[in-house]
Amino acid sequence: MEPAEQPDPMAPAAHEAACGMVTTDTKGLVLWVNATFCSWLGLSAEALVGRKKLQDLLTIGGRIFHQTHWAPLLQLQGSVAEVKLDFVDAQGRLVPMVLNALVRERQGTRVNDLALFVARDRDAYEHELLSSRAKLEELVARSARQEEAARDRASYAEQMVGIVSHDLRNPLSAVHLGVQALRKMAPDEGQRRVIDRIARSTDRAHRLISELLDFTAARLGSGIPVTPRPTDLHAVVGDAVAELGVAFPGRGLRHVKQGDGQPVVDADRIAQLVGNLVGNAMAYGDAGRDVTVTSRIEGARVCVAVHNHGAPIPADILPGLFVPMVRGVTGGADRSVGLGLYIVCEIARAHGGTVAVTSTDAEGTEFRVTLPDPAPSRHRNAGSM
Amino acid sequence: MSVRARHNVHESGSGPATLFFAHGFGCDQNMWRLLMPAYAARYKTVAFDLVGAGQSDLRAYDPQKYSTLHGHADDVLEVIRAFGQGPAIFVGHSVSAMIGMLADLKEPGLIAAHAMIGPSPGYINQGDYHGGFERADIDSLLGTLEGNYLGWSSNMAPAIMGSPEQPALAEELTNSFCRTDPEIAKQFARVTFLSDHRAELPRLRTPTLILQCDDDIIAPVAVGQYMQRVMPDATLEVIENVGHCPHLSQPSVCARAIDRFLAAKGF
Repeated sequence: MEPAEQPDPMAPAAHEAACGMVTTDTKGLVLWVNATFCSWLGLSAEALVGRKKLQDLLTIGGRIFHQTHWAPLLQLQGSVAEVKLDFVDAQGRLVPMVLNALVRERQGTRVNDLALFVARDRDAYEHELLSSRAKLEELVARSARQEEAARDRASYAEQMVGIVSHDLRNPLSAVHLGVQALRKMAPDEGQRRVIDRIARSTDRAHRLISELLDFTAARLGSGIPVTPRPTDLHAVVGDAVAELGVAFPGRGLRHVKQGDGQPVVDADRIAQLVGNLVGNAMAYGDAGRDVTVTSRIEGARVCVAVHNHGAPIPADILPGLFVPMVRGVTGGADRSVGLGLYIVCEIARAHGGTVAVTSTDAEGTEFRVTLPDPAPSRHRNAGSM
Repeated sequence: MSVRARHNVHESGSGPATLFFAHGFGCDQNMWRLLMPAYAARYKTVAFDLVGAGQSDLRAYDPQKYSTLHGHADDVLEVIRAFGQGPAIFVGHSVSAMIGMLADLKEPGLIAAHAMIGPSPGYINQGDYHGGFERADIDSLLGTLEGNYLGWSSNMAPAIMGSPEQPALAEELTNSFCRTDPEIAKQFARVTFLSDHRAELPRLRTPTLILQCDDDIIAPVAVGQYMQRVMPDATLEVIENVGHCPHLSQPSVCARAIDRFLAAKGF
């Protein structure tokens, strides 16, 4: 066997090796080259040895890359590996090659030994990778632009709703003041009924505007704002139930309290969700039987539930129940745009809680809002710390 | 972020002046391994990496700031202010020679002398000016860099073959030479090779040595001659060397030329 150190110019094995082999001096001048390399470039050994520098065989870009990056690298560390360069063949065509190079000392002089492989497929594959990356970057940029545009539209819509709601509230306040003035003018029985109807309609319009604002905040903005504070939950739910009792005369409405404590919740929002759920129960429940509101404090959880008897919610509309603009089957005149349950859901979400519903023929329908209460452990432990 | 960490600054030696060594495109401060030790006995030496190269802090790489050489020139001022003792002598290779010139013009007096190794104020031929390249050549370079995406990546160091004649290099050095983020390498290539700072040359009054190789495709001899012609206080030294990195291939020849220059200027 020949020693691997020095490819013998006469050895057919080195000449016909499965890779290109080139030896150059430290300046790049070709000292020896095998037949494989010559055939790849379509150049004879005579045209190369002692005449050409390796860098002369490269594209201009390859030459700059050679001079600025891998030649110094070769000098610094004595070897380079997997450098990819475009060579130019005798016909001026590009031949992409990958090369490894090693600095050796032979007969007292330093030489560079190179092994080279044609890398057409790798080159094509890398170009495909690069072009798909460019395509991907373009898609990401486009989607970012679309997202930005969608955000703009959402924020515009939110502002619009805010402005319109504000503008609607002013005339409603005027109507409200007018109603109060009329009441002081000693109206007769018929006039009083008309005034009451105007008052109720005004209240409903007010509620509708509030819901619209909440909906917009939840859907397009940063969510329904809540301000949780230590709250007497039973009292807040009790007050809400009492007010609702007045709003639904002739209907049975009970309040059940379980457990005690001062959970950290937003009292106004709790009253709001009780109102929405009771409104639903009154609209869809059995008018002849009680609606029951339960407020329950148990450890680190708070639960507010509203139950009614009557026909269950049809199974096919259950999945979409909390989606805005969807309503149960209703025959009454008490129509709304169907934001109520969605807002209940968003209030629960803003507290980090959930809403569940069970609805059967035998047991009736119950909506259950469960909220975590971060406070109880803090209240109990604070004193001992 | 400290200037030292941002630029991976390495100080050595002490003396009446400080030599700052700034590497060129395609490599990092390791380029000075053969030349710099000769100076540490007589001067204070400071080597650093340009932001985006070598072991500089890549988090500091702001494509906007470094979209021209001025971003690097501002950095050089900070390095000199932080580490200079006595007169500052700026040894810049290739593109860093121009970065040093821009820094000098931003704050005249801070740099006492320039030693420019293989400098070029403009790489593209324009009219009578022979920079050595056409615009298409630079595009070809950018294509080559794209094709060598893996070759630059600091995440994937290809296997380094041992070289029996080369003193063993520490593993962490072996795998860190001249590597950087491939996207940064591409931008720096574009900024470097499309730059044209010929207009500033006549304004640089600081004594300057132009160390020119007689066979360098990146900076042809005509470029060195042009620079000497238009600069007020430039000395041209042409040395016999093939390639763009004489400080690696001919460190003692470079050192002699720089010594002559420093002696003549009284450092």
